[in-house]
Amino acid sequence: MSSPDTCVHCKLPIPPADLVVDQIDSKELHFCCHGCQGAYRIITGAGLESFYRNRTWDEQGVPSGAFEADYDEPSLAGHVIRRDETTADISLIIEGIRCASCVWLLEKLLVREGGVTAIRVNYGTHRAEIRFNPQATTPAKIFSAISRLGYLPHPFSPGAAQQAAAREQRSLLIRFGTAAFLSMQLMGFSFALYGGYFHGIDPEIRQLIQYFAAAVATPVVFYSGWPFLAGAWRSLKNRSASMDLLISLGVSTAYCYSIYAMFKGGEVYFDTSAMIITLILLGRLFESSARNRSISGIDKLLRLAPDSASRVDGDEVNTVASASLAPGDIILVRPGERIPVDCQVLTGDTEVDESTVTGEPMPILRQAGDKVSAGSLNLSTSIRLKVEKVAAESFIARMARLVEEAQNRKAPIQSMADRVATLFVPMVTTIAIGTWAFWWFTGASHGEALLNAVSVLIVACPCALGLATPTAVLAASGNAAGKGILFRGGDILELTSRVDLIAFDKTGTLTHGQPTVEQIIPASGQTETTLLELASRAESGSSHPLAMAVLARAKTAGIQPDPAGLVTAVPGRGLKMQCKDGEILAGSRTFLTESGVEVPTIDSDTRTEVHLSLGGVWQGLLLLHDPLRQEAQQTVRALKKLGLDMVLLTGDRPETAQQVSENLAMPDYQANMSPADKTAWIETRQEDNHTVMMVGDGINDAPALSLADVGCTMAGGTDIALETSDLVLTRPDLESLHIAIFIARKAMQVIKQNLFWAFSYNLVTIPLAASGKLAPVWAAAAMAGSSILVVSNSLRLGRLVRRTFSVAKPPASD
Amino acid sequence: MVKSIVILIVLSLCIGTGAWLIFIWTVKRGDFDDVEGPKYRMLDDDEENSSPPGTSQGEKK
Repeated sequence: MSSPDTCVHCKLPIPPADLVVDQIDSKELHFCCHGCQGAYRIITGAGLESFYRNRTWDEQGVPSGAFEADYDEPSLAGHVIRRDETTADISLIIEGIRCASCVWLLEKLLVREGGVTAIRVNYGTHRAEIRFNPQATTPAKIFSAISRLGYLPHPFSPGAAQQAAAREQRSLLIRFGTAAFLSMQLMGFSFALYGGYFHGIDPEIRQLIQYFAAAVATPVVFYSGWPFLAGAWRSLKNRSASMDLLISLGVSTAYCYSIYAMFKGGEVYFDTSAMIITLILLGRLFESSARNRSISGIDKLLRLAPDSASRVDGDEVNTVASASLAPGDIILVRPGERIPVDCQVLTGDTEVDESTVTGEPMPILRQAGDKVSAGSLNLSTSIRLKVEKVAAESFIARMARLVEEAQNRKAPIQSMADRVATLFVPMVTTIAIGTWAFWWFTGASHGEALLNAVSVLIVACPCALGLATPTAVLAASGNAAGKGILFRGGDILELTSRVDLIAFDKTGTLTHGQPTVEQIIPASGQTETTLLELASRAESGSSHPLAMAVLARAKTAGIQPDPAGLVTAVPGRGLKMQCKDGEILAGSRTFLTESGVEVPTIDSDTRTEVHLSLGGVWQGLLLLHDPLRQEAQQTVRALKKLGLDMVLLTGDRPETAQQVSENLAMPDYQANMSPADKTAWIETRQEDNHTVMMVGDGINDAPALSLADVGCTMAGGTDIALETSDLVLTRPDLESLHIAIFIARKAMQVIKQNLFWAFSYNLVTIPLAASGKLAPVWAAAAMAGSSILVVSNSLRLGRLVRRTFSVAKPPASD
Repeated sequence: MVKSIVILIVLSLCIGTGAWLIFIWTVKRGDFDDVEGPKYRMLDDDEENSSPPGTSQGEKK
């Protein structure tokens, strides 16, 4: 059922020291801890074994050690909303949900819990709403039930801003639904009227149908179109022209003229105004749901920092809100709790899981004087911390604010539409007034002059203009999503098309990120086996990719590591282990040299070195190699053909970087780069007017990813990195980067064609309408024709992508 | 003639309004808040209600 070294329940690799073996149904099952064993027994005991068959886990779960916290009633009570004597609701966010089966399992098991009446877990946002009977159970019992299964519940009360956003999304949906429903009715009436126009209709019946049309069009204009009308009013007050004003102008002209014509016995254009509103609302709906998805990403980031903290005041410990902590306060963080604000350790040595902050998967030892970031998880012992920054200034909050700012910036495309409107609105209004004045003074009847002016306003209707960008963006992002490429919005599409420099991170991006041991060079007097045994002993507790490679090699050599001793990890350097034979050091050359070990010079070619020493004496080294992705070379060549500059930014040694860049024919590389160096490097390039894309895989590249014009992450990165990057490649295939750039460039081409068409259409039809050659009914038909043209031009994108990529290359197998 | 047209139009409006009211109700109920989950939920319940465990197709290791 599972390979012997991963846990049956949580699928994490089992550190040999922690192995728990259980006999269930005469099968021997391996667990990484008693918690997982317990969870397995609960799940199988409840008859829900199918969980293990149905789940698909690609992401990291909650690290072990996170479950020791107790849930105390008073702090949870504040989150409970009481409905009446026997019903109460509580909202929570559940950490550790990795697939739909987790949702299923939680829902199935929690309703069996006494006192829980209803539960609904939202797969997208990881939020759960639980309704329970407060006389039969307590929130703390529910929380422990969830944590027994291996998930981490956090109480959650949505902020005012989030509630407002949710309300807005709903009201937008209702506005659109109403507009769509009424427009469909209207379409039927319009059909009859169009038929009547060409084949003749009884005036009485025409009038009747026109009344019905007016009845269904009115709510569309004034209810569904309210956001546009309000926006237009605002921009009138500010004396600035916006897209909203242009839309409102078109809609209200068509509507008001139709009302007038209805009583005068002319033709009506209610369908024009209703269609504009419906289509543009649809565009807004897509846009807002994309934005809400990214907001839920920020949410996940923010909730990592707990709401409450235990402050030490003299002899007593008080639970206070994290927001009320001030620099200089002393707080106590127990094992299993997350650190609420940025702090410095006062007393206590502990292991801290900082994976959410740095992307580093293994726990790091923190001692007195070390700094710890908000959101990291305390694993082993209770520590006392001195608060350094208030909650709003802490790492997580700063990070979330950065992300939010990035997402709220106005899309350049949208601002372009506004710029167009600034010119277009006054121009069209002037022409319309001019037309009316011209016909009036040249002696035409009042009605004819007005009719011509209205024709101008109707053909100038921004429908094609309004559709030009959203349809192309939709077609592009839809097709990209089918290829496993997610653009985080229209502006990203535009930026991606303009990228001229791509910076690659090496590990996990150009390479597989899974190194293997290639060569073992023992010091004289040592054998390969003893060296490997030493290495596996030091690395057995670590889940670092290099350690995994060493352990895998040790296993094939039949070595059972003996993990007795205290291991200390030095991030980016190596491991230190105290054991009975002395101190073992395993890590980079600099790490050993700095610790006073004499390391001989060895030509390691370009591979990663792991040196080992015992008691200060060099014992040998392991050479590890992380193979390049097989499609990397081809992708680099294809990108070069598109005229893109590429550079490799890596924290690795210059020799390794040089060889990789030679292998890939990549012109440029920068080695020994820290995350800060990468950021600085990108900044200087941006100052030289380059549009830079950064391709990375983790949150330790986060500053560089967010600074780059387009931050691109590949599948396998941390949850938050995926949520917050601009461009996500969900398949571990570099080829999709090529496709992404291709789609972005084509989409921009299509948008330009669309805009060009919409303009030239106006250029031709406005003079026609002004000269009185175009009756409003033909103007409306021409407008519909131009919209259809724009939409079908956008849909061409899909065919283009399919033709270029599926014929040239057979679908890659996963 | 006119009378029957009016009756038919009003009837179609009534049916449409019914559908619209149901739509409003579902939005208010929050059915559109989670558009990812239901497609999986559907697959899960299927198995539990009808077939005994072990007979499901597409079983994963």
